[in-house]
Formats: sequence, C-alpha cells, structure tokens
Amino acid sequence: MSAVVLDRVTFTYPERDRPVLSDVRLELPEGVFALVCGPTGAGKSTLLRLANGLVPHFSGGTFAGRVMAAGRDTRSCKPREMADVVAFVPQDPGSSFVLDRVEDEIAYGMENLGVQPRHMRRRVEEMLDLFGLASLRDRSVRAISGGERQRVAIAAALAPGARIVVLDEPTSQLDPQGAEDVLAALQRLVHDHGMTVVAAEHRLERIAGFADVAVLVEGGTARADEPRSILGRVDLGPPVARLGAALGWSPLPVTVREARRHAAARPPVAPPAIDRPSPGDVLMRAEGASYSYGGRVAIDRVDLEVRAGEAVALMGRNGAGKTTLLRLLGGMTTPTEGRVLSDGAAPRTGRDVALCPQEPESVLFRSSVREEIEATPGAQTDRVLDEFGLTDLSALHPRDLSAGQRLLVAAAAVAATGAPVLLLDEPTRGLDPEAKERLVASMRRRASAGGAVVFATHDVELVASAATRVVMLAAGQVVAEGSPEEVLGDSAVFAPQTTRVFGPGWLTPDQVIASVR
Amino acid sequence: MHPGAWLTWALCGGTAATLTTNPFYLLPLGASAWVVYAAHHRRDHPAGLSFRVFFLFALAALAVRTLLVLLGPVDAGTVLNSFLEGLRLAVMLVIFGAFNAVADPYGVLRLAPRRFYEAALAAALALSLAPRTIAAVTRVRDAQRARGIEVARYRMLPALAVPVLENGMEDALTLAESMDARGHGRGRRSRYRPLPWTRASVLCAVVSLVALTAFASAAVAGDPTLVPSMFPPSWPEARSPLLAAASLLALPALLRASS
Repeated sequence: MSAVVLDRVTFTYPERDRPVLSDVRLELPEGVFALVCGPTGAGKSTLLRLANGLVPHFSGGTFAGRVMAAGRDTRSCKPREMADVVAFVPQDPGSSFVLDRVEDEIAYGMENLGVQPRHMRRRVEEMLDLFGLASLRDRSVRAISGGERQRVAIAAALAPGARIVVLDEPTSQLDPQGAEDVLAALQRLVHDHGMTVVAAEHRLERIAGFADVAVLVEGGTARADEPRSILGRVDLGPPVARLGAALGWSPLPVTVREARRHAAARPPVAPPAIDRPSPGDVLMRAEGASYSYGGRVAIDRVDLEVRAGEAVALMGRNGAGKTTLLRLLGGMTTPTEGRVLSDGAAPRTGRDVALCPQEPESVLFRSSVREEIEATPGAQTDRVLDEFGLTDLSALHPRDLSAGQRLLVAAAAVAATGAPVLLLDEPTRGLDPEAKERLVASMRRRASAGGAVVFATHDVELVASAATRVVMLAAGQVVAEGSPEEVLGDSAVFAPQTTRVFGPGWLTPDQVIASVR
Repeated sequence: MHPGAWLTWALCGGTAATLTTNPFYLLPLGASAWVVYAAHHRRDHPAGLSFRVFFLFALAALAVRTLLVLLGPVDAGTVLNSFLEGLRLAVMLVIFGAFNAVADPYGVLRLAPRRFYEAALAAALALSLAPRTIAAVTRVRDAQRARGIEVARYRMLPALAVPVLENGMEDALTLAESMDARGHGRGRRSRYRPLPWTRASVLCAVVSLVALTAFASAAVAGDPTLVPSMFPPSWPEARSPLLAAASLLALPALLRASS
C-alpha cells in the first residue's frame, strides 16, 4: 500500500501568478526512506507540507488535485486530524515548541491525542533514549543548543507514533556525528517498524546512503526515482557522485562505500600539495580568552590568530562554543578573562569586524535586496551585489526569497561593512550547491583582497573546499588546529568524502579531477 | 516545587500588597520576592532573566507615579501619598516578576482543568511573549550592530522593529502550524506526569495563605497602619504581626525545591 499519494496536484500560493507545483503525481510506498531534494526555492517545503494538509489548510492559496496520506484525504482532513498518522518536523524547530521542558514538549502531541498516561511515560523514555536526550529531560527547550533543539523536535513529532514522518532539513543544524545518529535512528524506524520517512535536505553527502527513494523537485514538478539516477546529477549530488561522474564510474556511487570499491581498482597518484597563499599580517587575535556565564564556561582560554588572506573554519560538536567564540571575536561580548585584540585594541564591531548571525532574518528589514545592502553604512552596493551573485535578485523583497537566498542577502549585507574580518555563523544552512558555490567564491575574493573570513560550520565539505585553516573546538577549548587536510584527514567523524575514498591529503573532488587530467 | 505553590505564593503576596501603602509592610514584601527570586529563579532560562526587566518596570512605575503628581499644585502630603501608591505598584510588579522567574508558566498551564485548557494555553503563550520579545530585541540589536547599524539611533529604529515584528509574526505562524500538526484541539486530552505536591510545595502554599490571612483580617478590622494618612505627613507606624506576615513570604526561599 502507498503511504503518500499526490494525484495531479497543482498549488499556487496566495497573491502569486504561477503555481509552485503543477500537475504533480507522486506515490511513495509504505516503509521507505524518501529523500526530497532540489534547488533552493523549488518547492520542497511546499511538497512536504502537502502531506499533512498544512498546505493548503494553513497556507491558503489555490489547490487542485488530491493528496492521500495513510488513506486519508487532506481535502477533508485538517492537519490536526492527520496528527495521528503524519508527524511533521518543521525547518526551524526553535519556534515550533509549545511547552517549556524537554520532557513535556515530547509528551505534548500524545496529550492531544489522549494517549494513556502510563503508555505516555514509557513512550517519552523511549524517545529520550532513541535521540540521546535523557540528560536534557529537565532543561528548558529555549536554553539548549540548536542541534539539541532539532533532536527534541524530532522526538516530539515521533512520540505519538504516527506511521509517516515528514522532516524539513532534519540535519541542517547537527554536527556530523549528531546527524549520523539522527539519520540512523530514522532508518531504524523504517527498517524495524516499517515506518515511512520523507525528508528534505540540501546537504546530501550524509543522507544519500540512507535513502531508498529520491524525489527531485524542480521547475514546478516532482518525480520519484532510484537515488542513484537523481543524485548522479553533478549540480546536485554528494561529492562521491561528482567524483564518479567525472571519472566515469558505473554504476554511479552515492555513498563512500560504493565509491571506495571503484577507487580500489584505480589507485590514484600521490595527493598534490595544496597551494595556498601564505597568510599576511595578523588582523586580530584572542589571547587566553575565556567566557563564562551562569557558572558555565563556554570558552576556555582560547588563543587564536586571524591573518590576512585566511579562511578559518571553526568546527566542533553542537554546544562546543563556536557561536560564543565568534561573538567574542566580533566584539559582541567581552571575554570574562583574557582579551581579544584587533590592531592592539578591542575590536570595533561593524568597523574592524562584522558578523553574520545564524538567523539571517535578524538583519533583514528593507523592502528590496538592493536597499538592504544600501542600509549598511559605507556599503559599495553594486560591488557587493555582484560579489554575492545577487544582482538579478536586487529588486525583490527579501521575504519573497528562499531561506538559502535570504542567508546570502544577510551575508552580503554584513560583508558590505567592508570590515577586514568577516565572521559567519553557519553560513550554509539551506543553501543549495549553486548558492554555496557563490558564497565560497565571495569568501575567497575577500581573503585574496587582504581580508579574512572566520566561519563556524558543521559542513565538512564546505570546510574542505573553502577553509585555509581549521580550528576544532570541544567544551570551549581548542583541541586541534591546522590545515584542513591535517585536522580533517585522520578524523573518523569530520573527514570529507573525498578523503574517505582516496585517503589523507585528498580533500575535494576538484582536486582529484585536476590531478587525473 | 509545584507550580501551584508558586501561583499561590504570587497571588497571596500580590493581594497583600494591594491592601497596603505602608512602606514598612511593602518593603519586606518586595524584599521577600527578591529573596525568593534569588534562591529559586531558573538559571538556564531566559525567563529567569526577565526579572531584571520587571524590576526596571517597577522603578519606572514608582518614578512616573511620583513625578506625575508634581505637574499640578502640590503639597508634601500629596507627593508622599502618590510615592507610596507608586511603591505599592512597584512591589506588585516585583512579585509578579519573581513569579515569572521561578515558576514555569507552562507548568501553571498544566493545572488548568480540562475545559479551561484552551484559555490557559493562550494565557501561557501570552506570558511567554515578554521573555521571547526581549530575547528577539537583544538578538536583532546585536545582529544589526555587527553590521555597523546602531539601532539606538532614532532614524535606525526600523532596523530593530521590522525584524522583531516580522520574526514575531513568522514564529507565531510556525507555532500555530506546529500545534495543529501535533493534534492540538482534537478535543481528547490526557495529562503527562502530573507534578506531586511535595512537602515543600505544601509549606510554601500554607505560609503564603497565612500571610495573606493576616493582611486580609487586618484590612477587614480596619487596621489604620495599613494605609497611613500622609495629611499631615507623618512617620507611619507598623504592627509587628503584619511585619512578620510580610517577611513570612520570604520563607519559600529557604525551602529546597525537591524535599
């Protein structure tokens, strides 16, 4: 039997001329892990929201066709009437929480369905274990890290026991190990309990191996196919698929394991030395900087230098102190011990250093992309628009852009300050490969023009292609520092796919492709 | 501590404060609230921080109430009188702020009988609006500062207001969606892990009721020390049972939440 069926669905958002999806036919069988992918703004979130009727019941707009989930028709069932068959995890879990304590939040959905208290107790414990949340049960959902929040949101959605789970970018805020754990937990539900998982993602390198079916949403249509044939597209697939396509491997690999089989038959040459310009003057430095609040040490005696021409990646698990360190470097907070210096004095925020926050919405306030860049004091608007590839979008309202595009606009607005050091907190959430490419290019331009970029990220592939140096944080301390190949090369958790396939020294598909030619 | 115990504490303290303008009663009431806040506020929680905002509100209320009266023809008695009324309002705000910081509003929500659940949920979400907005203002102000925009300048107010309001609207929509998608309003409800009335909780509620009873019976008996006359201005008198009652509200600060 089919879990989700879309039958000739056409949907147009209110006040839009063109439908976001038109005449979509899609059938997802029960007990599969379906991966929804496609460029940013193509309608992936819309497709997910159709499954439990949030579209059109909440969105408004014009809807034609029929959507069935677990045999229920969303035209006649409101989202709340689908709650026992479809669990939904939205993109931004932070604002979806209803209650306050982790444990209560997980129980909320079951309370609404009238689940027996005894059964509820057991179910909450199961969820706490399944998602590694037992130690957080008494904490407030508003006081835990972004990655922890995402796990709570997934646990809370799954607790009532719906057979279909729909997730919008479930791993975008998770560290590599955390993402692996969440995906493995979801896969266990598919394999052991026959549940159906429908998940949208941009970063495909981790999730590709878990998917049984891929759904490509593009140009107003959606089609389901075997993951290999969809992920093989160069502009979309994970690094191993790009490698495979370039090296003519067949069948095309979508996981590291498959790629290694091909690679074993063809040992590559020794990795070429990576040519990086030697860094220039020190632009800013942290000297024994510590930061503690509420009796908790978030940053513990960190020494760090940022030099001209560098792109420094801050990595580490959720809650390791990446955001706090960025705030210290940005002069947003002053260290409780030690100091942060730029040119011999405390950094002047917005002058010596600028910071793009995790939530791009916090900075956007004008009614067009161009005005938004102009609002930054001292902005050279045309140059920045060009640098971030936003010239075509410059007349649009930021609200009408996709999450990924908004992030690019926020980064551009912050970069427009012209501050020599640019700090970016999780700059690739929601970015499709093309937008990511643009961001990386503008980071490089900035570095080669004598500036420096420091970015916090979980995206190891971004680090592999964009960073000149990696700083690994754990519990507020620097535990490793060096070039990406040194720090990521021998890491079981953080190694990029190309390293996993060809061994240390290899970082990106481009590097391999260039050396084979 | 059972949220009902905190609710009782706050209602009793607040009501006692409304019954008096005597600074010798109001100050111990306010001090009790501060001590309870200091001992029990949720340290990992944004609402724990909102006490500071309530305290500032309280000071502002006191200042405005006192200064307003200076606009008209005044004598010492009128000024003192409105100062004391301002103090009463300030103490009530401090008690409410302490309640907000120590008790989980959603815990209070869980006490609501099933048929009032909807109304209580609306109230709890409204209660959480203040700390959430404060958090959003801080976040946006920081974010704009990091791109060189000082929102403190009047001309740059939209840079603060627009993101705060737009994010607020978006968050509200996400929340409504999430609640619906999780079956809110289906009419059936069960309750997860009702909190027990521990000995500490019972004691907290009982001392609060005792304190209120003292003030209420004094009010019924027409105790003149509750609302001292400031015409002519004079040093207010205070009775020791009421002093003790006001200080009693600090007792929950000594109780361990789990005992």
